[in-house]
Amino acid sequence: MIALVMILPLVLGLASLITRSRFVNRVSLVGTAAVLLAAGVAEWLGIDWALLPGWLGLYFHFDGIGLYFFIIMALVFAGVAVYSLSYFREHRLTAGQESVYVVQILFFVEAMSGVILATHLALMWVFVEATTLSSALLIYFEKRKASLEATWKYVYICSIGIALAFVGIILLSIGSEKIGSLFFSDLYQHAAEINPFWLRVSFAFLFVGLGTKIGIAPIHAWLPDAHSEAPSPVSALLSGTLLNSAFLGLLRVQEILVRADQETFSNFILILTGFLSLLISSVFILRVRNYKRMLAYSSIENMGIMFIGVGLGPIGIFAAMLHALAHSLSKTSLFLTSGNILHHYKTKKIDEVRGMLEKDPVTGWIWIVSALSIFGIPPFPIFISKFFIVKAFWMNGEPWLALLFFLFIVIVTFGMGRAVFNMTFGDASSSNEGSAHLSLSAYLPQVAFLLVLLLVGIGMPHQVFDMINNAAGFFSSGSVHNVISMVR
Amino acid sequence: MTDFLIILLGTTMLYVSAVSRVEAYVKTLGFQGIILFLLVVLNAKDMSWLNVSFLVFETLVIKAFVIPYFLLTVTRRNEIDREIEPYLSQFYSLLVASAIFIFGFVVTFWSAKTGSAIRPLYFGISIEMVVLSLFLIVNRKRIITHILCYMMLENGIFLLSLSVANELPMLVNVGVLLDLFVAVYLFAIFFNKIHEMYDGSHVDALTELKDE
Repeated sequence: MIALVMILPLVLGLASLITRSRFVNRVSLVGTAAVLLAAGVAEWLGIDWALLPGWLGLYFHFDGIGLYFFIIMALVFAGVAVYSLSYFREHRLTAGQESVYVVQILFFVEAMSGVILATHLALMWVFVEATTLSSALLIYFEKRKASLEATWKYVYICSIGIALAFVGIILLSIGSEKIGSLFFSDLYQHAAEINPFWLRVSFAFLFVGLGTKIGIAPIHAWLPDAHSEAPSPVSALLSGTLLNSAFLGLLRVQEILVRADQETFSNFILILTGFLSLLISSVFILRVRNYKRMLAYSSIENMGIMFIGVGLGPIGIFAAMLHALAHSLSKTSLFLTSGNILHHYKTKKIDEVRGMLEKDPVTGWIWIVSALSIFGIPPFPIFISKFFIVKAFWMNGEPWLALLFFLFIVIVTFGMGRAVFNMTFGDASSSNEGSAHLSLSAYLPQVAFLLVLLLVGIGMPHQVFDMINNAAGFFSSGSVHNVISMVR
Repeated sequence: MTDFLIILLGTTMLYVSAVSRVEAYVKTLGFQGIILFLLVVLNAKDMSWLNVSFLVFETLVIKAFVIPYFLLTVTRRNEIDREIEPYLSQFYSLLVASAIFIFGFVVTFWSAKTGSAIRPLYFGISIEMVVLSLFLIVNRKRIITHILCYMMLENGIFLLSLSVANELPMLVNVGVLLDLFVAVYLFAIFFNKIHEMYDGSHVDALTELKDE
């Protein structure tokens, strides 16, 4: 299965680059998305074909949490792939431009799969850097002056960050000299033998490196620029999958500290930067004038929520895992819809978009419902995850922090809600002339994601429960099983 | 001999913090590559032959020639001669650089005392290179200088990895080198684009994107 996941995007990407035919492009894009999703589901059902040569199989592996993040990625990518078909048509791309887009997006997905599946710390690093490199030209895809600036900031800041993460890896190998290996399994097993001083220093470096990619405050500078300047499907992919996979990388590193009894240190950093992200996003979300930047700041906020969740122990971890899924799907839906809005109004300014419900009711409703989902209005699952984080604060005896958390959430919801409702209601006639209707593939992914979110929020099928449970099983800090029973 | 080479490597960083001709940066970068190659050769007996041959290729071919040559071509093509006036003047940046150089030695003496399994001088000077590269990046304005300083940062990290006895698997080594190579290539592409699109290629010109 892993062989398929790791080889297919490369092969199909090269195929569309060489042939430059519209048919091959579409087959590669949608085909890869379908295969990745099928591979994730098959792995979940326990079907495993070991097609990899043994030595390579050592370096890639599906564990519980990896599988969970892989399935989220595959879902988001499937939506993005379908939406891209509409993007191709609306922007009248030539076959050659389509090929360039497809090959990069497939390499990008390949790199993210590598981050999720890698079993070796330094190999994971290689793939994290590869995600930066493979997505750079995608952000610059529309070749505007502003997108060039955004791309430069993205590539350069992330490369410096990732270089510092490599310093962290070397420092960890100094501290774990007796273990003599940087495979996660070895590091977990012998975590107690790692020198605590070097472990902490290396965590600081790895945190800066991976945190830059996650876009956690205060090292988030590239994120709003890149998310707002990339083509909408790419923004969706960045926000819905790239941040998650870097987050998973950080979780794998943090687990070393947990097993070495250093988690007070790492949890403190996680909660501190989590709150800082909430602060930054709530300040900026009130003043941004660009709706794609607004969504980008909302991503910073949501990554902050996940950080806080993980820093809080079992209940928070459950919440963070659920939040990862719900945020990815909601935010992908929002970013894809922002592509529709951009198509209709030809502007990214919030003030110039009015009366979406009149102009294109489907887009308008998707925009509202996705926003409700990201705000955490019941029955959407983000309500559950935020609720559990507040509960975790309460149970840890920190009600003041819970109040602070709640305050930031309210500010962000207010800022975003104001923009979303101003954009959807009102009189459309005052806005500039828009273009004709969009094809079905510009709506389908969002509707599907919102249905999945509703299903998870209302019914929470036991398969999803088991999957989250399985993912949370990766963490050694306390059993998650009693949390699960509590949720039920 | 190795000690001498490492300190020479540290001194090249002082040199770049005092000069403003971009070509001097590129030549220093190539020179650093050659020193790193000599260090690899001098340490060859502690490593497996596969690792040594890979590292020789990485330092002698890629770091000492291919990347500097590539960046030199880019510099000449865009007709860039000098760094523009940095935020902090040459004199003060040399002063800061010297302070960081001394800090590198402090780290060396400190790390010798911790009893960790590292080579102290390698460790101290590599920290100096990393910190000083970051300082230069913050202080300089030209994007080409940023690319060159990023490469020096990578050289510092390479020296840091030599300070540790553990070897990384070959798959990882190849991946790291590939990433580095693609990164430099992409940097150069974007540098060329910025040079075309903006009036002059320094970071102060990049002001399109704001939160307003």
